Amino acid sequence: MKSWTRREFGRLTGAALLTALNQPKARGQAKARVVVVGGGIGGATVAKYLASSATAVDVTLVEPRQSYTTCFFSNLYLAGLRPFESLGHGYEALARQYGITVIHESAAAIHPAAKTVALNNGSKLSYDRLVVAPGITFRDRALEGYDDAAMEIMPHAWNAGPQSKLLRRQLESMEDGGLFLIVVPPDPFRCPPAPYERASLVASYCQHSKPKAKILILDAKDKFNAQDVFQDAWNRHYPGMIEWLPAQFTGGVTAVDPKTRSVITAGATFKAAVTNVVPAQMAGRLAQQAGLTDQSGWCPVDPVTFESALQPGIHLVGDAIIGGDMPKSAFCANSQAKACAFAIAADLAGSARFPAHLFNTCYTYLAPDDAFSNAISFKPVDGKLKSVISFVSKVEESSEVRRQAARAAEGWYDAFTHDVFG
Amino acid sequence: MRPVARSAIATGLVLLVSQSGATAEADQGAQLAATCASCHRLDGGGTGIPSIIGLGEERLTNALLAYRASESSNHIMHAIALSLSDEEIASVARYVAKQGSNPR
Repeated sequence: MKSWTRREFGRLTGAALLTALNQPKARGQAKARVVVVGGGIGGATVAKYLASSATAVDVTLVEPRQSYTTCFFSNLYLAGLRPFESLGHGYEALARQYGITVIHESAAAIHPAAKTVALNNGSKLSYDRLVVAPGITFRDRALEGYDDAAMEIMPHAWNAGPQSKLLRRQLESMEDGGLFLIVVPPDPFRCPPAPYERASLVASYCQHSKPKAKILILDAKDKFNAQDVFQDAWNRHYPGMIEWLPAQFTGGVTAVDPKTRSVITAGATFKAAVTNVVPAQMAGRLAQQAGLTDQSGWCPVDPVTFESALQPGIHLVGDAIIGGDMPKSAFCANSQAKACAFAIAADLAGSARFPAHLFNTCYTYLAPDDAFSNAISFKPVDGKLKSVISFVSKVEESSEVRRQAARAAEGWYDAFTHDVFG
Repeated sequence: MRPVARSAIATGLVLLVSQSGATAEADQGAQLAATCASCHRLDGGGTGIPSIIGLGEERLTNALLAYRASESSNHIMHAIALSLSDEEIASVARYVAKQGSNPR
């Protein structure tokens, strides 16, 4: 005999109920239709948690790519510590186990008045609620000379995928003694510690393969988070290899020249063997087109429901939003997505809403067996997401604690991607 | 299948007619456990991060209370536990204790 899982039982409950009662639920339609645009961490999490909620919801996920490549852990791939394939996650489990309709198409436009999303293939999806998780795009002309063609010569590798492979190839073919240059954009940008983690792991790779190589960071800022922890690790693991120059020293990066792979600042021109340019960022294009962004280029939202402050009935999660202290990280996107999914489900069912708990937790690699972690909790205060509790690893942590964190990070990756993609 | 369907209808009707205290508590537990799932696999799998499946309600409650009281063992769990009320700790412990208890 077949043993019933909780989920199958839940589905049967829904199906049997509809047959038995054959009447509309309290709020209009028998099943509310929620469309989620964007299958990154935020979008996939919203879709999964809505589909598995107690409220009967028809969930459609719109995402052009067949599989998602995680930005987190892509620095390990860059350093040769993880195969590229291990970063890829498909949508099959979300479709098969959670009954989500996954459509591999791009969304062309949102029509809030008609409550429809137009897809690039000409079809239209109607929704009762829409969730948009558009991620980031790069600001045009933020850096003179950095256009689409320049990205193929001086990769950003800030969306994991072909760009990560290109940067890895450039690093591998760099001669010993070469300079690896990282340009860090102004705040806010996706994953604040990532440029410094990248510098650490590139140094770790070079230490074995190109011991005379140097890494130079040209920053748009004058300080960065956990700076003491990073600089302590750079001195311990890679003495003399990594140099960090703040904006007050260089005057800031103003332009790039792809022909010579150089980076131009107010005071000097830096020429490198490999140049990794991380450009300034803003919310993804669909958010711009749909009027979901304010003058900052990011999307303001209600900190409890993640409903757009500009377009009612449309929710936003992930890197595209602003409105407080939550950094642009996969963990935050996942945390926001759950709060958003539970808020939508409670609203559709007309049931009570419980206070959401929002967190960011982050493991950052300083070396293959040396990682540090932080944990922050957030609460909605006066319409903003305020950081209320915050802990970060300290410089004096023992090497055993750091080794444990590096191992925990591997386990976290497995559990987290399982939480998002099933 | 018939008896299963019949009991399912009965369960569903209870849910539909009124959200009982027990259901609301389970909903809160499920919502809080979603936070756990960002790092701990609720199917009991995974390595590197300690499993929270199969521990029982009391051990889970005591662990969360201990994490809330002190930063020393793990600052991530300390930050998480500090954000939880006594009632929320009881609710999430009860919910998580029920997960994965019937291995297939």
